[in-house]
Amino acid sequence: MAKITDKIKEYTRPGYYEKFDYHWTMSIDLDRCTGCGACVVACQAENNLPIVGEKRFKERREMKWLRIERYWEGEYPNLKLKFLPMLCQQCDQAPCETPCPVAATYHNQDGLNTQIYNRCIGTRTCAVYCPYEVRYFNWFTYTWDEPLEQQLNPDVTVREKGVMEKCTFCVQRIRMAKDKAKDDNRRRVKDGEVTPACVQSCASEAMQFGDLNDPNSKVSKMTKNKRAYHVLEELNTKPSVVYLQKVEKHD
Amino acid sequence: MTDTNYQEPGYADVNRDILQTLLVTGPKYWITFGISASVALICFFGPWAYQLYVGVGAAGMNRSAMWGTYLSNFIFWIGLSHSGTLLSAVLHITHSGWRKAIYRSAEAMTLFSLMTAACFVMVHVGRLWFVHWTAPIPNPMELWPNFRSPLMFDVMAVTTYLTASSIFIYMGSVPDYAAVRDASTGLRRRLYTIFSFGWRGTAKEWHTLSWAYMFFAVFVIPLAVSVHSIVSWDFALSIVPGLHQTIFAPYFVCGAIYSGTAGIVSVMFLLRKYMQLERYIREIHLDNLGKLLIVLSLIWTYINIVEVFTGWYSGTSFEYEFLKFRLFGFYAPLYWEMILFCAVVPLFMLHKKIRTSWKWMFIISILINIGMFTERFIIVATSLPRKFLPDAFGFYFPSFVEIMISIGSFAIFTTLFLIFIKWTPCVSIYEVKETLKPLRRDA
Amino acid sequence: MTNINRRDFLKLIGAGSVGTGAGVLYGEVTKQTVELLIPQVIPPEDYSPGIATWYNTTCGQCSAGCGISVRTREGRAKKIEGNPVHPVNQGRLCSMGQAGLNALYNPDRIRRPLKRNAPGGSFTPISWDEALTTLGRRLGNLKIQGKGNQVTLLSDGVRGHLDKLFATFMQELGSDNYLQYDFAFPNALYKANKILFDIDTLPYYDIKNTNYVLSFGADYLGTWLSPVHYSLAYGHLRQGRGKRRGKCVQIEPRMSLTGANADEWIPAKPGTEGLLAMAIANVIISDDHYRGSDIDDWASAVGSYSPSAVSGQTDITESEIKRIANDFIRHRPALAIAGDNIASGTNAVSNILAINALNYLAGNLNKEGGVIFNKKPSLVQSTQQRHASYIDMMGLRDAMSTGQVDTLIVHNTNPVFNLPNSSRFKEALTKVPYKVSLSSFMDETTDLVDLVLPLNTYLESWGDDIPEPGVGFTTATVLQPVVTPIYDTRSSGDIILTLAHQIGGELPVALPWTNMEDYLKAGWKEIYSGQIANSAFNSFDQFWRKALESGVWGENKTCVPDRKNKTKQVQLNNITIAPEFSGDEKDFPFTLLPYISQTFFDGKGANLPWLQELPDPMTSIVYNSWIELNPATAKKLGIKEGDLINVQSKEGSLQAPAFIFPAIRPDVIAIPIGQGHTQYGRYAKNRGVNPINILESIVDDASNALAWSSTRVKISKTGKHIDLVKTSGVTRTLGRQIFDKPGKHS
Repeated sequence: MAKITDKIKEYTRPGYYEKFDYHWTMSIDLDRCTGCGACVVACQAENNLPIVGEKRFKERREMKWLRIERYWEGEYPNLKLKFLPMLCQQCDQAPCETPCPVAATYHNQDGLNTQIYNRCIGTRTCAVYCPYEVRYFNWFTYTWDEPLEQQLNPDVTVREKGVMEKCTFCVQRIRMAKDKAKDDNRRRVKDGEVTPACVQSCASEAMQFGDLNDPNSKVSKMTKNKRAYHVLEELNTKPSVVYLQKVEKHD
Repeated sequence: MTDTNYQEPGYADVNRDILQTLLVTGPKYWITFGISASVALICFFGPWAYQLYVGVGAAGMNRSAMWGTYLSNFIFWIGLSHSGTLLSAVLHITHSGWRKAIYRSAEAMTLFSLMTAACFVMVHVGRLWFVHWTAPIPNPMELWPNFRSPLMFDVMAVTTYLTASSIFIYMGSVPDYAAVRDASTGLRRRLYTIFSFGWRGTAKEWHTLSWAYMFFAVFVIPLAVSVHSIVSWDFALSIVPGLHQTIFAPYFVCGAIYSGTAGIVSVMFLLRKYMQLERYIREIHLDNLGKLLIVLSLIWTYINIVEVFTGWYSGTSFEYEFLKFRLFGFYAPLYWEMILFCAVVPLFMLHKKIRTSWKWMFIISILINIGMFTERFIIVATSLPRKFLPDAFGFYFPSFVEIMISIGSFAIFTTLFLIFIKWTPCVSIYEVKETLKPLRRDA
Repeated sequence: MTNINRRDFLKLIGAGSVGTGAGVLYGEVTKQTVELLIPQVIPPEDYSPGIATWYNTTCGQCSAGCGISVRTREGRAKKIEGNPVHPVNQGRLCSMGQAGLNALYNPDRIRRPLKRNAPGGSFTPISWDEALTTLGRRLGNLKIQGKGNQVTLLSDGVRGHLDKLFATFMQELGSDNYLQYDFAFPNALYKANKILFDIDTLPYYDIKNTNYVLSFGADYLGTWLSPVHYSLAYGHLRQGRGKRRGKCVQIEPRMSLTGANADEWIPAKPGTEGLLAMAIANVIISDDHYRGSDIDDWASAVGSYSPSAVSGQTDITESEIKRIANDFIRHRPALAIAGDNIASGTNAVSNILAINALNYLAGNLNKEGGVIFNKKPSLVQSTQQRHASYIDMMGLRDAMSTGQVDTLIVHNTNPVFNLPNSSRFKEALTKVPYKVSLSSFMDETTDLVDLVLPLNTYLESWGDDIPEPGVGFTTATVLQPVVTPIYDTRSSGDIILTLAHQIGGELPVALPWTNMEDYLKAGWKEIYSGQIANSAFNSFDQFWRKALESGVWGENKTCVPDRKNKTKQVQLNNITIAPEFSGDEKDFPFTLLPYISQTFFDGKGANLPWLQELPDPMTSIVYNSWIELNPATAKKLGIKEGDLINVQSKEGSLQAPAFIFPAIRPDVIAIPIGQGHTQYGRYAKNRGVNPINILESIVDDASNALAWSSTRVKISKTGKHIDLVKTSGVTRTLGRQIFDKPGKHS
């Protein structure tokens, strides 16, 4: 039983949950983001998100791993509308990870907050605990009108009813890049080799994705920007999505 | 007080009176049983089967309100389960004689509300067919439940509580099963021979029983307190405004005992009325329970004030918006109804006349439980749609399926209880006898 | 388990088989139809199972002409991404472009040719042979009888070789009735550029390098000309140049997506934006910022438009106008652009002229960060401008109703949906003896025709395209099929070429090719031998393979501005700057602002479920139409969100739920264009309203374009309520730390 004590030692070592092989991070520059919604469709296409129909939308059961939130400021005519792309923040201190009774959601070696669809029993606790409300539940088994199912991405599973799902940072693309790096006898994935679908589509280049452990990656540089912040930082969830403030003042 | 012409029963009367509830079954019982069983079937299992077929989407829950009436029902039933065993155990330890007439039915309530609550866990989850994964069953994948999860604590606590309560009630019933055995013939006699473990009533047996019973009474008390604390952690361990509160554990425990005690009053009223147990369930019991209810009501009111105050005092938008929604939003009528039923109405019990009137106490006890049911609903329905990101604010209203299942759960409880009263004497025969004056030879 | 005896063994088997039996039974009941993982026993050569193949082609969802890369697996298209080497979109793509897969795999595609049994009757499927023979005979007979001119081809805005093919075909048929119609085509912008700069193509608006974008209604991030390109430019303008962050000002009566992203949103009175531009020009001149030799001409042209004179008409204060003018001058290079609703009133061309004049006065022409004139795209020659204005369409209507059109061929365009009811186009259309539609979907126009020829989508077709507005250097893109056609459909080019052979006569001589691929290759071979041959390629085949690989071909040059200023003279003297509206202000107090939806464009995208499910960027509404009302207006009329509102114009009425939209003028209501289809498949049919229906047929005289922002309406409550389906809950931050660092929010 020495093994278990060793493991406990390992797990309780300070920094065990903060030091990752990679630390995949996304930066979203709100000064560039236009709120157009291209990323939302890109995500839907890449990750086999179902077409839920008007009725389900009305019931607030839409399936959008990435959504754009909008906030008005001021009153007519001095108005401003701000957009906030909201996706799973892949928190390093994720409130959603602890409460799953079957450990269907956990933190992986890349610092990703992963969801194991096969293991999920659908208590929805993770979604209740998530302050960003980016977890989406399969209230039904969704189907595609034929032949729309021919579009489905073979690299991503289709989820059944009773399963929680959420943004994965396009883990299938990360996986592929890692495989490629391995095939090329490289130890690590190069910066820019992985782009999640949303980042790829962003027309104003508001999103950047990369490894925070690599100090020279684009995303590392973005996180050092003066405007960088986390949404709801006060909750201390340590998100892996870094937002860059919209510039307000202008001469 | 009606006690003026009260005539204390003799030992034989006790046996006869109480055993007749088991041995004589009238058409009224069968009609009640039939109705409640079919309501359970139609309202609970029917919609549930439908929900299993289409998915949890049959319920009204949605993205911001991922939890709904199933969870609030769960807490309600767990709450109702309190005071049964807990009260019985506490009173047993403190040698309160008046407990003896009521504790059996109270403990039965515990058992069956726990079972009903467990049903709601099953109804709540998205993939019932994998719910066994919450149990630490060894498997080739070496997968274990997540012991950090408050839900996991819950599974542990509820199963432990269920086991302990079952043993507690069964142990206390053994001499009574023997009494049933002695009074019956045929198959029933053979069955009760088994139930009673061959109880003969020797001094050693009595000694062992009382020792074991005391042990369990002591054991059950912390368990009962912990169970509802743990249930409260399902909520309090989240960071959701309105749920993330340090006071939640005492709040839930107090609320649980509160609703459980009120539940006992209701059940006592019904048993007394329909099982002809007027001579055993008496105003003195009612009076004592009434006093207990007043105390609990005051504690409950205090905690509610604290909750609102801390929310307001925090000054954060999260707490403030959620409170605004709870106190003045769509569900405000329910909130104020709850305050009325659980904080104001019980104050009438300060008057002794009301406290000892069966009719009034029945009404008050029912109102308290309606209020407590609402409380559980409000906790879920007003917190989750008002979390952190205003853009994701939503709204929750139970669907037809959820309402049916909630109604059906009462029928399940009733059905189980009706089965119980034909199986176990619902008033402890031997303990009632202990409270009587010594045998009168002339009787 | 060594000491298991026979009896135990049998018991175990028994128990096991009961279990298995139940399992099998359950399996049988819940079994799904078996699908083979890879449908072909011998896979085709062009793919290997499990490995994605990417094809570069061109997006056909709007007229911007973005390059796309389509990811295919096992012969099926899986995802569309931008083509990184394409100069327009540089690897990026908008939501509409990505939803192209929904068009390809749309369940409501027409799967085989259809023939109408009797007038007003239903359709019957027929074979391609029968369809093309019937049509070919009819056209052949007309040609022989010398009535070729009675054939009209109404197409969407096709460009490149398909356009050339159409033109040749119609010409050989003896018809000069080849029209193109797109609702969103910026007729007025072309016209204004022609007047002011004498150019036929659109200039390149260099948002990327400018310091100040003064946009009059041009929703360049949402719908205007080339949104993906301008979004890229916008990103660069904001944060791509270090400390130099460009400023964006948007002048429009209803906040568009661009307005939301602008630093300032200024709601001028609808139609008076030209006046505002004149006032700004006035300030520029009176404040001595312009020193050209023609200053006196300018001074006299704009002299009467002082800020104080204009302020009342535009509803913008004098100081505000002065401030904008000074900012515009101070932040040079600056850019003034006009589009969408500002460029679709009765004074559209005048407005654009006034606004373009600002570019001239500030010296923004032909320099980085200003207006850069495109060279003519020299690789593929488009025949000529064929875009029909509204007046042209009315000409077609008259021809149709007077029997001058015998056969109408509609290609991929939907005039019945995109023209107002008051145009009476639909009625005229039904009078045409024989109508043919080439379309992938059963849209409103296709539903009225006698013969339906189902088209391949652009993802199954050959073709080419030239982005317009160009990117400052010569470029063309190639379209190639990324999947084999999934139904019994054909591409427009193939159909026309087959028809040419059916008709016979000179047609097969002029168009000897049998399919579009050959035609396209032949066309490109010409281009190759003319312009590219001396470059690094051994043969045309090598070049062609390279072109297909990259999906785009062009001169590898960056944009070098041509320093010549093209403005001939001041063109502002004789313009009618004041807007006219249909309906007087007293009876119809609100200006109706139909706007091109960012998700559905002019209605073309409404049958794509991903777009139906994409929340509208400004309101987050899905699956419906709505009427945007200022909160003050709504309060005055006692209207709440979701109340069903009746909107009445002189030409008709419509009903849709109200949406309280904070950023719209109180005297304006806005309705998105795109929904309100009565046909067009399950996702679009009977959903929302089409505001085009109730517009009056008034035009901008200078460009002959429909003035679709010039209809006044009155509104009334119907007493009914429809819950708007939207994703946003509360759209205020409530003082939470959402856009700021912690501690900074109040």
